[in-house]
Amino acid sequence: MTLVLVAFVVILFGWYLSFSASRLDRLHHRVETSWEHLDALLQRRAALALEISHQTDLDPATDLILTQSAYVSREEAISNRNDAERSLSQSLKFLRESADSGELSIFLPLLSELTTLTEKITLAVAIHLEAVNSVAKLRSRPIYRLFHLAGKAKLPKIYSFEEDSL
Amino acid sequence: MNKPLRIGMVCPYGWDVPGGVQMHIRELAEHFIEQGHYVSVIAPVSDEETITDSWLVNAGRPVPIPFNGSVARVLFGPIAASRVRQWIAQGDFDVLHMHEPGIPSISLLACWAAEGAMVGTFHASTPKMRAISSVGPLIEPMIEKLSARIAVSEMAQATLNNLYGTEAVVIPNGIDYARFNLAGVGRVKEIDTPLRIGFLGRFEETRKGLPLLLEALPKILKALPALELVIAGPGDPEKVLSKIDSQVAKHITFLGRLSEPEKVEFFSAIDLYIAPNTGGESFGIILAEAMASGTPVLASDIQAFVDLLSQGASGVNFVSEDSNDLAKRVIELLRDSARLHQLSENGLLSAIRFDWGSVASQIMSVYEVAMTGQGKVAVGSENASYKKGRP
Repeated sequence: MTLVLVAFVVILFGWYLSFSASRLDRLHHRVETSWEHLDALLQRRAALALEISHQTDLDPATDLILTQSAYVSREEAISNRNDAERSLSQSLKFLRESADSGELSIFLPLLSELTTLTEKITLAVAIHLEAVNSVAKLRSRPIYRLFHLAGKAKLPKIYSFEEDSL
Repeated sequence: MNKPLRIGMVCPYGWDVPGGVQMHIRELAEHFIEQGHYVSVIAPVSDEETITDSWLVNAGRPVPIPFNGSVARVLFGPIAASRVRQWIAQGDFDVLHMHEPGIPSISLLACWAAEGAMVGTFHASTPKMRAISSVGPLIEPMIEKLSARIAVSEMAQATLNNLYGTEAVVIPNGIDYARFNLAGVGRVKEIDTPLRIGFLGRFEETRKGLPLLLEALPKILKALPALELVIAGPGDPEKVLSKIDSQVAKHITFLGRLSEPEKVEFFSAIDLYIAPNTGGESFGIILAEAMASGTPVLASDIQAFVDLLSQGASGVNFVSEDSNDLAKRVIELLRDSARLHQLSENGLLSAIRFDWGSVASQIMSVYEVAMTGQGKVAVGSENASYKKGRP
């Protein structure tokens, strides 16, 4: 009788572990997909920045920041381009503000695309950060740490560009 | 002897934050004003209230942009561009001196807007600017407009050459030699008095190398138990002290941020100045100041420091990021008072070349070359279309 009970508890615990592991796995997957979505938007933003640079009568300093960070953003892995993404956010924000106050004229379709894209990125960042934080929260629980339920998966990182207001 | 000039200088970084470029411009401007020239400096300013210099013109609020791991406060955009143009148009300048015109800020804007005698000074040594092939064609024409280029060190010169393929005259950063020199010749102490070594800088920044010095300190104390380490500069001492043994901590004094006169006192109070920087320096003005005060210098063997110490003639280099070598050199030097004395003398002699008297007159010579055959600086006409003709 006891044997059956022990077996039952073991099986139950095993099931719980496997349930927890797949829950974490699902979250990890969500981090990946939300990042892919965000990254695709960032790539579009970099391309748009270059197009704005080509079509707008910018001063060379603004143009330099815009072009350089856009190129880095397109060519580098995320671990190397945090600074570039931040510069890009800052300079595009500056451009939108200059355009809004009439100091600068940007080709209207480009400007409205930039506005839409910025809104999308803000949303995508929020969704991605939410997933990253859930993973971190789950992985800090004792059972996940004790049984190495995360396996070799790296703890997803938060980059400082994701914390800037756009 | 020379007729007074009207000089316009452009500072790319926020004037109200401390920095090497800002300091350089301030001292150079003051030097030329003292000589009877008219100087106007235009710079980004965050807080108008802090500005007391009559010769400073506010170009607008700077924007923080990350560059190479740190955040630079720069200024760009249509309003800044028109303010710079206006400043040039009204200034009636004989010569314009742009600092760091490769950085996207108002120096670059001034380069773009002006026509006539223009000089550019390049301060930084950037490791390798990424994607320069894409932006190079954008800045190169601006850099070419400069009639003469100055690099503050061999390193800055090499960077300039790498990025834009142009040459520059090397003229070092300046110091007020007489002010430091007062502290004194021949003040090398006897070996039986307590020995003091000093460090100055934002010590929480790893690249300034304090962690390395703290790693070496226990080894040094074994050989020289009476030694004292004096740390000056902005930062939180607790963050440093919490990481080290209390027996070692007893030998450390923190002075906090120093005013310029306090800096002179600091140098006269120490027997050896240590510069354990691990990189990111293109000049090392602090070493020049230590030398001018007669304080022997031990510095890491990063390129800028090796150049500044004339390959070991006026100071000693240790193997960068090697705390064993650092400890060994400190002990060796402090036990050899004849050598310290020699270094003190060599340093004093060698640092004369950094005095503003000499540095500013070299810069003036560059101005003269730049002004040859030029009238007054004017606002160019081709401005609005700098991109035309680009593919």
